[in-house]
Amino acid sequence: MSVNGLDATFTALADPTRRAIVARLARGDATVNELAEPFDMSLPAVSKHLKVLERSGLISRSRHAQYRPCHLEPEALDVAADWIEENRRVWAERFDKLDEHLRQIQRGPAGDEGRKSR
Amino acid sequence: MSDHRPDAGELIFTRVFDAPRDLVFRCMIEPEHLTHFWGPAGVSAPLDRIKVDARPGGVFESVMVNDADGSEYRLRVIYDEVTEPERLAWTDPDSGMTTTSTFTDLGGNRTEVRIRQAKVPEPFRSPEAQAGFLTSLDRFAAYLGTLRARSWGATA
Repeated sequence: MSVNGLDATFTALADPTRRAIVARLARGDATVNELAEPFDMSLPAVSKHLKVLERSGLISRSRHAQYRPCHLEPEALDVAADWIEENRRVWAERFDKLDEHLRQIQRGPAGDEGRKSR
Repeated sequence: MSDHRPDAGELIFTRVFDAPRDLVFRCMIEPEHLTHFWGPAGVSAPLDRIKVDARPGGVFESVMVNDADGSEYRLRVIYDEVTEPERLAWTDPDSGMTTTSTFTDLGGNRTEVRIRQAKVPEPFRSPEAQAGFLTSLDRFAAYLGTLRARSWGATA
């Protein structure tokens, strides 16, 4: 997995406005004007956010259509979400095993002797 | 402790263990313990392939072997801090990600371990990135799962 790509994705998602834009685009393509509406922001400000999202690969913009609608690229999101989920899973499973290991060793010498003598 | 407030760009995992803090801490730095739990489910961390030099600048290296197909994953990180039995921190030089483990004695033979993972700070240092990044991104990931199921499940 490309760490640099992930950095760009996480940086893009670090901003609440950009997360809201991504959530909006998950429901369908939208123009800059449509995206600017729910936010109290100027078009240039929204455009700046869109550029960050576009650089990260999270969205693409049509080169042909007049209003250049924005389109969500779910694969980039999947990579970020998968990475988070994978990390959580690894630590959860490690901790499950550590919990079991701690139980075992804390049964202590008495427990070991008990097993041996029986 | 107040110096552990959530920061931008981090993931946090906590777990409470029924064991004294000294013991839990030692489990995290002694190969004889690590081999029992360091690999996640279905993955082994052979004892003879774990190297620990638990001091700042020292290396923590382990090879994790997939039980099913034998494939291997090597982890090599450098310790930034080893403060027994309170805190352990390391950096992965390849990704720049830092992992800080904090051990809190809860009394009654219980210990809380808190794992804080942060990417290399640089991309997150912009003011706009300081707005409570990954605590919400955690929830965001779950939220996206529901969105994906609704919106593009057909293309997945």
